Amino acid sequence: MLFCAYKPLTNAIVAVKRNVIDCIPRNVLLLNKHSDRQISQYPVVDHHFDAVVVGAGGAGLRAAFGLSEAGFNTACVTKLFPTRSHTVAAQGGINAALGNMEADDWRWHFYDTVKGSDWLGDQDAIHYMTEQAPASVVELENFGMPFSRTEDGKIYQRAFGGQSLKFGKGGQAHRCCCVADRTGHSLLHTLYGRSLRFDTSYFVEYFALDLLMEDGECKGVIAFCMEDGSIHRFRSKNTVIATGGYGRTYFSCTSAHTSTGDGNAMVTRAGLPCQDLEFVQFHPTGIYGAGCLITEGCRGEGGILINSEGERFMERYAPNAKDLASRDVVSRSMTIEIREGRGCGPEKDHVYLQLHHLPPQQLAVRLPGISETAMIFAGVEVTKEPIPVLPTVHYNMGGVPTNYKGQVITHVGGEDKVVPGLYACGEAACASVHGANRLGANSLLDLVVFGRACALTIAETGTPGEKLSPLKPNAGEESVANLDKIRFAEGTIRTSEIRLNMQKTMQNHAAVFRTGDLLKEGCDKMDAIYQSMEDIKTFDRGIVWNTDLVESLELQNLMLNAVQTIHSAEARKESRGAHAREDYQDRMDELDYAKPLAGQEKKSFDQHWRKHTLSTVDIKTGKVTLGYRPVIDRSLDQEECSAIPPAIRSY
Amino acid sequence: MLGVLVKRVVNRVYQVVLRPTLACPVSTRGYKGEASDDSRGDLIEIPLPPWTEKDGETMDMKRRRLLFQSRKRGMLENCILLSLFAKKYLNTMSETQLRQYDRLINEPSNDWDIYYWATEAQPVPNVYAGEIMDLLKEFTKNKDQEQRLDAPNLEYLDKGSQ
Repeated sequence: MLFCAYKPLTNAIVAVKRNVIDCIPRNVLLLNKHSDRQISQYPVVDHHFDAVVVGAGGAGLRAAFGLSEAGFNTACVTKLFPTRSHTVAAQGGINAALGNMEADDWRWHFYDTVKGSDWLGDQDAIHYMTEQAPASVVELENFGMPFSRTEDGKIYQRAFGGQSLKFGKGGQAHRCCCVADRTGHSLLHTLYGRSLRFDTSYFVEYFALDLLMEDGECKGVIAFCMEDGSIHRFRSKNTVIATGGYGRTYFSCTSAHTSTGDGNAMVTRAGLPCQDLEFVQFHPTGIYGAGCLITEGCRGEGGILINSEGERFMERYAPNAKDLASRDVVSRSMTIEIREGRGCGPEKDHVYLQLHHLPPQQLAVRLPGISETAMIFAGVEVTKEPIPVLPTVHYNMGGVPTNYKGQVITHVGGEDKVVPGLYACGEAACASVHGANRLGANSLLDLVVFGRACALTIAETGTPGEKLSPLKPNAGEESVANLDKIRFAEGTIRTSEIRLNMQKTMQNHAAVFRTGDLLKEGCDKMDAIYQSMEDIKTFDRGIVWNTDLVESLELQNLMLNAVQTIHSAEARKESRGAHAREDYQDRMDELDYAKPLAGQEKKSFDQHWRKHTLSTVDIKTGKVTLGYRPVIDRSLDQEECSAIPPAIRSY
Repeated sequence: MLGVLVKRVVNRVYQVVLRPTLACPVSTRGYKGEASDDSRGDLIEIPLPPWTEKDGETMDMKRRRLLFQSRKRGMLENCILLSLFAKKYLNTMSETQLRQYDRLINEPSNDWDIYYWATEAQPVPNVYAGEIMDLLKEFTKNKDQEQRLDAPNLEYLDKGSQ
């Protein structure tokens, strides 16, 4: 019984009964170039599942749960324990037009989201998401999520930015449902707990390396187990990517160190395109360096932003709103101050958020978290000194392109074409519901709706227990060779150095302030940094719990995201949503929507920018190739919900 | 006259206290606003499999595993805090301390709880109180006011470079 002889993987709940058919570990022998190094051996275990989900955050767990509930033998491969996914950081809430605080209609939510996306969002996906929102929240409630309630016992809903009533004409809407201050955690806990009842198999602390593609079809995922260094091929007809965003390409981001764009990179290495990567959302006040978010509430309480001359510079950029102007205006003003030489600190590369002019009791009572965070991460006593802040990367609107059903698509011959066997949801995907700019509290909604959509689509198009098509015996060999190469890398530049170079370049050249020359310079620098990966130096040669190796593989993934982001940004010669350029300050649509439309001639597809960017990378050279596909302007059902034609976006 | 003044002061106080929350916000950490208290229904009704200590792990392997688990957390604040803490203390922890640390960072399901305990925003449950928790709380206070810009690079572990 060779299976019994193989050491059980203690940190994963392996469903012994059903899945491990071909479990005799085969050894992948790798010959090394240097005769004095031992031959590396990697035991490979093959698994068969009906569905594999990569990532166990909100989207991954919802997909895994939905699939398990539908009877599919599902594996969830994750590098982190499910409740430690970055979703746990979310404390805002989920938007849904339940109408508990005032009369509401999902079509108003639809309008807000389309407008928020600056008309780059696909309206069929947005229709799907906003229409499903109330049912999704009620469903979560039925699963056991303890949403906060009003006194009447209905789900409490609060106001959030960008949400309005009556298509923008009815004032502020209250649509954001929350679980006290731990909505993200509650979502993870509930979904993880429920999925276990359906026998979902979790492979925790397994790092997914690559997709197993054959003839343009996805046949599974290859991953390596950090606990014992074994390689695992998860074969399946259905693979769902739910790996989150890639904030870590920048020097300053609010994301955890786990947001490394692993899914986007896997898709890129498979030769498939990523969409709209240039759209990166920035939040004005993250702590300089650390990147921890400083709430806007600080400025609401009277905090002000000052430059090196001690001037309250927002008075110049937004004379009325001053420090409380909209997020992207504040971010850009801060960046202009820094670029014009009035930045603070020894490198003059940030500005200050001053709170010490406020009474200490006010700070202690209303903003207690800020005082602690500032002391811990900036070593600053807020009653005496200002906090160094910088516009900080917060969310990635772009990712793996999918249709509204969650199926990954490519664009061939002017048509969208589904990639068989591959799905994506969550921040890793680009459905695209957020378009050029995401509204607050729409992200958790995105996770739940599209996680469920992937599960539904798979259940519709397949059956549990279906026989798998054969896979080449050496599938995934390249991924293992790459792993081995990184593990024994003996170049001259350390992983941390290359990573810092990449982060600083992205921060300087592709942050809030974007202009042609700066972007072009950044592209050249990033290309060189990409090449420098050939010279990487790692120091830990072990295979068990090798953090150096994992961080180096993550760096490879980040690098692919970074080059696509900066090249896409350089190519897009307009300003739209979060992508704002000094040299092209206006949106360039097919018609000029600022003027009356009658008599205008529609610009051809090549001449306007209301289109999605599709980027691919030649892995060896690092060369980025860009293509475009049109935005979907029709809703799922024109009778039920008419699409919103583009207009000028003003609030 | 006095009445008018009092009225003005009272109005001002009301304005400040009852000022509606900003309409444009973001993930305000630790922000509950007017939401009702947490009933913790999900934690009670849907218990997760209990955390158990790993058997048969050498101290060296434990340290390596805890290093990875310190650096990769659910939110940035914990990533930075725990990786800096691990840099300072992990390699010199005794076996008992390692086990305490293992439990502290792996058993709680909500990463925010660890942050609230470390910053003393919330009381530490008895089961996690001990030497390691005390060290963490002290470390978090940042009495030396050092700048904690980011998680440290791993190279401090590279014996070859020392």
